[in-house]
Amino acid sequence: MNDFLFYIIVALVKIVIIANMILITVSYLVYFERKISAWTQNRVGPNRVGYLGLLQPFADVLKLLLKEDIVPKVANKFIHSMAPFIALFVAFTTYAVIPFGPSITLWGKEIPLMMADVNIGILYVLALTSIGVYAITFAGWSSGSKYSLLGGIRSSAQMISYEISMGFSIAGVLIFSQSLRPMEIVIAQHGWMWNAVLQPVGFLTFVVAAFAETNRLPFDLPEAEPELVGGYHTEYSSMKFAAFFLAEYANMIIGSAMIVTLYLGGWQFPYVETFGFSPAVTIGLQVGAFFVKMGALLFFFIWVRWSIPRFRYDQLMNIGWKVMFPLSLLNLIWAAILAMIMK
Amino acid sequence: MSGTVPKKRLKDLSFWQKIYVPEIIKGLSQTLKQMFQPSFTMEYPEVKFDPPASYRGRPVLVQEENGIERCVACGLCSRVCPALAIEVQAGETEREKERYPEKFEINMLRCIFCGLCEEVCPEEAIVMSKDYEIVFTNRADALYGKDKLLTPIAKLQDRINFLRQYKG
Amino acid sequence: MPKFTLNGKEVQFTEGQTIIQAAANAGVDIPHFCWHPSLSVSGNCRVCMVEVERIPKLVIACSTIAAEGMVVNTRSEKTLAARNAVMEFLLINHPLDCPICDEAGECKLQDYAYKYSAGESRFTEEKNNKKKRVALGPAVMFDGERCISCSRCIRFCDEIAGKNQLTLVKRGDRVTITTFPGKELDNPYSLNVTDICPVGALTNRDFRFNSRVWDMSSTKTICSGCSRGCNTDVWVRSNEILRITPRSNPDVNNFWMCDEGRLKTFRNVNAEDRVSGPQVRREGKLQKVTWDEAYSAAGELKSYTKEDIAFIGSPEATVEDNYLLVKFAKSVFGIKHLSMLDHSVTGSGDEILIREDKSPNAVGAKMAGIASENDELDFAGILNGIKNGKIRALYILEDSKLSEYPQLIELLSKLDFLVVHAVNYSPLTKYANIVFPAASYTEKNGVWVNFQGRAQRIRPAITTHETDRSIDGMSMSRLDKFGTKFDSWGNVNKVEARPSWKIIAGLMTIFGHKQKFSMAEEVFREMSDIIPAFKGENYDKIGESGAFIAGKPTAI
Repeated sequence: MNDFLFYIIVALVKIVIIANMILITVSYLVYFERKISAWTQNRVGPNRVGYLGLLQPFADVLKLLLKEDIVPKVANKFIHSMAPFIALFVAFTTYAVIPFGPSITLWGKEIPLMMADVNIGILYVLALTSIGVYAITFAGWSSGSKYSLLGGIRSSAQMISYEISMGFSIAGVLIFSQSLRPMEIVIAQHGWMWNAVLQPVGFLTFVVAAFAETNRLPFDLPEAEPELVGGYHTEYSSMKFAAFFLAEYANMIIGSAMIVTLYLGGWQFPYVETFGFSPAVTIGLQVGAFFVKMGALLFFFIWVRWSIPRFRYDQLMNIGWKVMFPLSLLNLIWAAILAMIMK
Repeated sequence: MSGTVPKKRLKDLSFWQKIYVPEIIKGLSQTLKQMFQPSFTMEYPEVKFDPPASYRGRPVLVQEENGIERCVACGLCSRVCPALAIEVQAGETEREKERYPEKFEINMLRCIFCGLCEEVCPEEAIVMSKDYEIVFTNRADALYGKDKLLTPIAKLQDRINFLRQYKG
Repeated sequence: MPKFTLNGKEVQFTEGQTIIQAAANAGVDIPHFCWHPSLSVSGNCRVCMVEVERIPKLVIACSTIAAEGMVVNTRSEKTLAARNAVMEFLLINHPLDCPICDEAGECKLQDYAYKYSAGESRFTEEKNNKKKRVALGPAVMFDGERCISCSRCIRFCDEIAGKNQLTLVKRGDRVTITTFPGKELDNPYSLNVTDICPVGALTNRDFRFNSRVWDMSSTKTICSGCSRGCNTDVWVRSNEILRITPRSNPDVNNFWMCDEGRLKTFRNVNAEDRVSGPQVRREGKLQKVTWDEAYSAAGELKSYTKEDIAFIGSPEATVEDNYLLVKFAKSVFGIKHLSMLDHSVTGSGDEILIREDKSPNAVGAKMAGIASENDELDFAGILNGIKNGKIRALYILEDSKLSEYPQLIELLSKLDFLVVHAVNYSPLTKYANIVFPAASYTEKNGVWVNFQGRAQRIRPAITTHETDRSIDGMSMSRLDKFGTKFDSWGNVNKVEARPSWKIIAGLMTIFGHKQKFSMAEEVFREMSDIIPAFKGENYDKIGESGAFIAGKPTAI
């Protein structure tokens, strides 16, 4: 077997595993969203479909599949149908560069536990998430509805505003890693040298920006049910709506994974090497650590949604430009000073 | 949970409130606490709500212990009903109360559960029951006749006591 | 004219009037139970007491003759206190059974208790018990406990019906009304006592417990029982006539009507055997068809001439119906055989209201041209013509008596062609080739002329397939206003019928004489141009109390 074929097979296996993992995670993320919201409000939540309601996500999907697909008469049909798939595409492709474990060696070949160990991974993520805005803006514009249009416009304005502070926060991280390769960023955070510990302000601004980028409460102004009916997806139904829905939750997973990778040490399990486990167990613990961190962050996403009300639009802009932007700049300076001292 | 919060302007806020993060943490801890509180949900078909005496369910006719309705078909409930849900046709009997409802029909599609029929009734003959499970699948089934309305007085004692206590 | 002061205002009156009459003329209503404008004064209820200056005690307004310069106060403190006291006394023994009392809603005692009573009773003793549910006669039920002993019913029987059938017996709080031993309240006007009874002591056995008065609509119309044409109100709920009550008209029936008119004249309207939808005989059976099909089937009349066709009008139909029948006969065939049946029953009349002629519109039908002077054959002549085969076709307007007339029925099989307007199925419809469903007198607009020559309006009280309560301005009860077809009380029974004038107008189109009438009023307008008796008359002028259109009024 030559190397090329081997890597192709490995890549295909990874694609299948990751894609399915995303889909299942998204399904159960929705389930947990509903459960957690219920617990917060002293309710029970879904408990009818299957044991403890565990089959609820499948019932939801089935329902969405069976719904009629309605396209408004005045919609631009092509862009209208394209938009949800852009959203989906962006959500899935971003996973390619998230490392969920160290490299392992199989049959004498080193395989990194990520889709593609790209040396400009972070740039790749930034580029793709920027395309995500198009999905929403297209959806809003092509629907031919004022609610959708407003949702789309809000989304692009919000993305632009928060991507700046996001970029500056990431710059702080890059100062320490000296690389755009995600794997190296993770490795740079060995021990307790997590970026969240070194630059807490950067961590804060990045988390806030991540919330804004994923359109989650308190930053879900593009959807804003009370004001805009459903925002950019007002005019979507059936599987196209489901695609947006899926993309939103997939984005949430990416957001968490990025936060873990950039600030919480990625798959690093502090001092696991010193416990003296066999390499396989160590790697298992490291992969486990990644998913535990990500799970905790996903819980945090949901928890915040059911605790904090939506910002007003002017507040959103104020925070983005007058608070988050200066803070991320300050963090950059702090990171630079810290990096110099540590050297 | 109760009590009104005095309105605060931005200038009234303390530094810690202004930087917002501690307030968010406070909010988050509140919701976190709630996650471990018992839930109030009644899981309906298995667990049923037992309403208090003040509950206004489906209006029913009181049936005395001897099996005869109290209603004398005066038609006041029908007159007062804002939704015109009640239809009464009086008839004559040999009993001491010479008048009785030959037909007493409540259109449950029209009924709005306001309880005015109960309030106006001079005989305490129509009262709001605790029955909230009102199901039908066509218009004709929504017309509840005497067969469905007559309810033994023992089942309605709770409500009758409530009416005597609070509505004179 | 003499004047007196009433509540601080100068009021004119005529010599000999009592205070209550003079006040009523001036628009001041003095409460009263026992006083009735058409009965003698008995002065026993005491609720009409008023204060008159310089008379130390209050006086009863119903028996005190008004005098020049009198100063009367019906609203003074003393008057109100006395009224309140009287009401309290009257209510001492009156049972609180309004919920089961038919009078509720039109009860004087109930109204006055609201208006003039303090609404409280200081009476803690037990109310007395009297006989309830006593059948005083075939039509009237008596409830002793509700009676306030005003004696109106007794005076009615003595003075109006002319039969001393009721009396008060016993004294004090045991006083009650009864018939003489072994006798019944069975005079032909007995049900009027239920109208004048100010409480629910006397009730109509036929209407008893049928409906609350507020659930019904009432329509001002005319009784169809005889040629008196008593003014009546027809009471309808869910498109069914439940009762008929007299309506005051001093020139015709005053406040009264007979029991027969009250109980019998609406039976055929509510009956099961109403003709609904036009019908044509095919292969020996009547089959329901559309109006157009029925009209073109009636086109077969074209093959007859004035020699072999006869028309029978109806003293039960309106003048409009009869007029159009005449117009049809004249314009299409040239008139020859046209008459109607005389409904008179010799010896059945009396000096009070009931007339021998049992039809409401014989005079009007004649005025409209039925049995006009130029016809060669009267009704008997038409019968003869059928008998000897000269008359082969017959056109009959709705007439209930005609179907009970054996001399005609036995001849019907000889006819080649028979067209009948019918309200109910009858022996006539058994022979008919075409049956047109005619609207009854409670389903259409029109004019009847009574024996005095007084034109009076009848109005629709119940709806047919072609009429609508709100569009046609008919009176509506609350149930009519808000009912839908999904309510059992809104899903009412309706007959597919048309007034005869409309049927004939439609038929005339087939014969090439198109008529432009869309309302009975337009037919009447044309008549008022053509027929001298109706000259200058119109529906508005006839109004609610009628208009004399011929000669002088005869005395009641």
